[in-house]
Amino acid sequence: MKRAQLAILAAASLVIAACDKPAAPPPPPAPPAGTSTSTSAATSDGASASSSASASSAAATPAVQTSTPAGADPASPDEAKKLRIFCWSEYIPQSVIEEFSKKTGIDVSVENFASNEEMLAKLAAGGGPYDIIQPSEYVVEALVRENALEKIDHAAIPNLKNIAPEFLNLPFDPGNAHTVPYMAGTVGIVVNTEVVKDEITGFKDLFQEKNKGNIVALDDAREMVTWALLAQGLPVNDLSDENLAKAKALLSNWIPLVKVFDSDSPKTSLLNGDVAMGVVWGGEGALLLIADKKFRWILPAEGTHLFIDSLAIPKGAKHPGNAMAFMNYILDPEVSKKLSEEFPYLNPNTAARALLAPEALANPASFPTTEQIQSMQMFKDIGERASVVDELVTTIKAQ
Amino acid sequence: MAGPSNPILSHTIKRRPGVPRGMMLERLFFGWWTAGVFAFLYVPILLLVVFSFNESKLNIRWGGFSLKWYEALFSNRVLGDAFQTSLVVACLTTVLATALGTIGAWMLYRYRFPFARLIGLLIFIPMVIPEVLMGASLMAQFVHLMKLPLGYTSIVIAHTTFCFPFVLVGVQARLDGLDPALEEAAMDLGATPARAFWHVIVPYLMPAIVAGALMAFTLSFDEYIVSVFTAGEAQTLPLKVYGMARVGLNPQLNALSTLFILATILLVIGSQLASKRKI
Amino acid sequence: MAAGLSIPVEDGVVRRRPGLRAWLVMLPLVLWLAAFVVLPSLMLVALSFAEQKGIGGIVFSGTFRHYARVFSEPVWAKVVGTSVWYAVLCTGLCLVLGYPVAWFIGRASPRRRDILITLVMIPFWTSFLIRTYAWITILGKEGPLNAFLMAARIIPEPLSLLYTPFASVLGLVYNFLPFMILPIYASVEKLDGSLIDAAHDLGAGPLRAFARVIIPLTAPGIGAGIMLVFVPSIAMFAITTLMGGGSDPTIGEVIYKQFTSGRNQPFGAALGTILLVIFLVSLWITQKLRKSR
Repeated sequence: MKRAQLAILAAASLVIAACDKPAAPPPPPAPPAGTSTSTSAATSDGASASSSASASSAAATPAVQTSTPAGADPASPDEAKKLRIFCWSEYIPQSVIEEFSKKTGIDVSVENFASNEEMLAKLAAGGGPYDIIQPSEYVVEALVRENALEKIDHAAIPNLKNIAPEFLNLPFDPGNAHTVPYMAGTVGIVVNTEVVKDEITGFKDLFQEKNKGNIVALDDAREMVTWALLAQGLPVNDLSDENLAKAKALLSNWIPLVKVFDSDSPKTSLLNGDVAMGVVWGGEGALLLIADKKFRWILPAEGTHLFIDSLAIPKGAKHPGNAMAFMNYILDPEVSKKLSEEFPYLNPNTAARALLAPEALANPASFPTTEQIQSMQMFKDIGERASVVDELVTTIKAQ
Repeated sequence: MAGPSNPILSHTIKRRPGVPRGMMLERLFFGWWTAGVFAFLYVPILLLVVFSFNESKLNIRWGGFSLKWYEALFSNRVLGDAFQTSLVVACLTTVLATALGTIGAWMLYRYRFPFARLIGLLIFIPMVIPEVLMGASLMAQFVHLMKLPLGYTSIVIAHTTFCFPFVLVGVQARLDGLDPALEEAAMDLGATPARAFWHVIVPYLMPAIVAGALMAFTLSFDEYIVSVFTAGEAQTLPLKVYGMARVGLNPQLNALSTLFILATILLVIGSQLASKRKI
Repeated sequence: MAAGLSIPVEDGVVRRRPGLRAWLVMLPLVLWLAAFVVLPSLMLVALSFAEQKGIGGIVFSGTFRHYARVFSEPVWAKVVGTSVWYAVLCTGLCLVLGYPVAWFIGRASPRRRDILITLVMIPFWTSFLIRTYAWITILGKEGPLNAFLMAARIIPEPLSLLYTPFASVLGLVYNFLPFMILPIYASVEKLDGSLIDAAHDLGAGPLRAFARVIIPLTAPGIGAGIMLVFVPSIAMFAITTLMGGGSDPTIGEVIYKQFTSGRNQPFGAALGTILLVIFLVSLWITQKLRKSR
């Protein structure tokens, strides 16, 4: 009888599997080869104009790119209508991807990673080939240095003009030769003002003995070391042994005060009332402020760092044309607005910002002031020092 | 399954009048203990089910009754596809792992293989090895050595590898203390070793085989880290759930769990009724 | 019992020399082990002598420095100790909680048995992450458990149950309980009821009957259960990190971090290899001891 049960289970699953999964919504009537990304009639002007522009420029692409992407015939602009995206989980709304798929008829598959290093590990191990990846700024720097990214054709991405100038041409990718900005953000302090009555202005105020057991911190060794460095006025990218020793001294006092280490969803413990303050990502802070007025966002007086996540095309991508079409699509103001609505980080797209509701723009966790942004440092790649940093924090935690 | 008709393997509870006091106490105590453990097992499930109908997104505040998460779930193709993929992978894994584990346990028990001790050690490796190492090394093997594209094949191989030891160990435990006269009797009646295995040993092993299959299915369905490395385009449910749950538990996941539990319970009841009718 | 059997019997177990057919049947398992267990393990050991450069490229340099690092810094041994301790607690609690359940189900009527054993498994067909988050909700300061305890006036103030070692162990036990129950159930199910009746009839109190008769009879199931819980729970990490708050690193978490923020896969491989070696050696010694008894 047990055998029957197992048989039923197996049979059911095979039946389900046999049911044809529609791969993607049926593409618009297939146009002749050459205009591979023509769109159906009723679409928003921005998207269709840019898509057909990219179609015509796809033919010109091989001349501009310095390397021929593997798998694409340089002479024909025809790529298979596929796109493989490798991105953060919960960073690109599913609705955005489905819209793109519907508009262009491109079949999109998505794989996720939970950290930059996981992305690197899988890329190095031979995962892929992916068409779009979503690295943070210090990773872009490393990838560019190792020649691991394809160059992008700005003619294929006219919406790039929507990005605020302070987010373009940054040191990690001069001239945006390889990347377009996706979202930026900071790290800051959130306080539950119903429980915490003191004035907290920065890291030193937060990490006091009296707050023991009431703090949530990001579970990121480099972040924690950065806060310790900032609190002592040291540059965040100078991880010499001397500076690390100083950071260790401070962290030895700070880390035992933390109740929860959580990089994925630090807002959970704050919302559940298990802790009353913490250091969290800007987007998480913004969501907390939206969820309940009792939360306050504080940009640490000692300083903080600015991170920028970008879209890039790894070497060996099979559908670079589609990838650039996707990049252009993301930079469309309406689409970018949707990103902000779901993930209220620092949107570098000025055209999109113009479309956001005033409360969203006024959210200090999402949009720090220009002066604040100018005072922020940015991470650089630390290579093998990452291992030392990780051990430093693990040692303190294990005590 | 061997029942009262098998005099050698009688393992049904004899209900006689005047059951000794010790046995009554035993039944009572263990009955209540089991009820307590089941309560422990199902409390979080109850929470999941209740909050799948919660109007509010937050898991701790009740905002009113609503079916909106179920609606959202049905239009969520990502989760639907992932669920289907997980089911297929888990079923394939269960079949392979159960076969490998059962046959392996039996062969090791029955025959004197020269390398038996070595195999006994090797099967523990997939159990003790940290999953990230297993995932990474299998991925390296698939991609660099075998040039196998990552997808259904790679993930089923990976899952089977760490599931079958569980089946093997479970079946071995059941084999411990097997009465040799059993097989001997079958062979005396003219059965080949293969026949004896299928018609005598396997029924005896059934509870362990089923237990092993249940473990294998659960392990595979729920596996995250090994899947991260070996799934490729076969995106399973835990891969998607992990991402969703990371940013704060989405009640769609509650709805999904509720539906799955409901389906399983219906399946169990269904097969019970089906077998009742057979008799 | 050995007398009269035509098949050779040693220690009460029938052992034949394998013929060609037996070898053929065994072949798939051997090949599978060789291809997907031995080979990747060797690759792992090889990785532990390599170095990670740049954005993740692995350069094989035959270096011993990862092993030197493991042995020269006490933090790694401490982390392994923490993991083993959690595993021991988890296994012990699973045994105490799970044995009576396995007993009860194993001795129930066949129909009830099937339903009950499936009911044991059903909660585990929801994703472990969802279950863990459910527990996080339940145990939180503003969660239902505290609300209930406060309403029943058992405690004056909400208990801080979450993000503690208690929560970590609870999460582990919840996750591994079925792996203790199932093998013991399989062992119990085959017990001859008459033996137990006899024990009770002969005047043994329920406790005595249990300790002297029943536990020894179900020893193989207990042994299997302990193996299936203790061994995997050492390297388990997501649960302890999520429910324990992450302030007590376990070896699983540490190794995982080497593949992500630590950017040092070879070091992770070294830690894993040492763990494997320790485990296999212990297992081999245990088997040797059992043989010599």
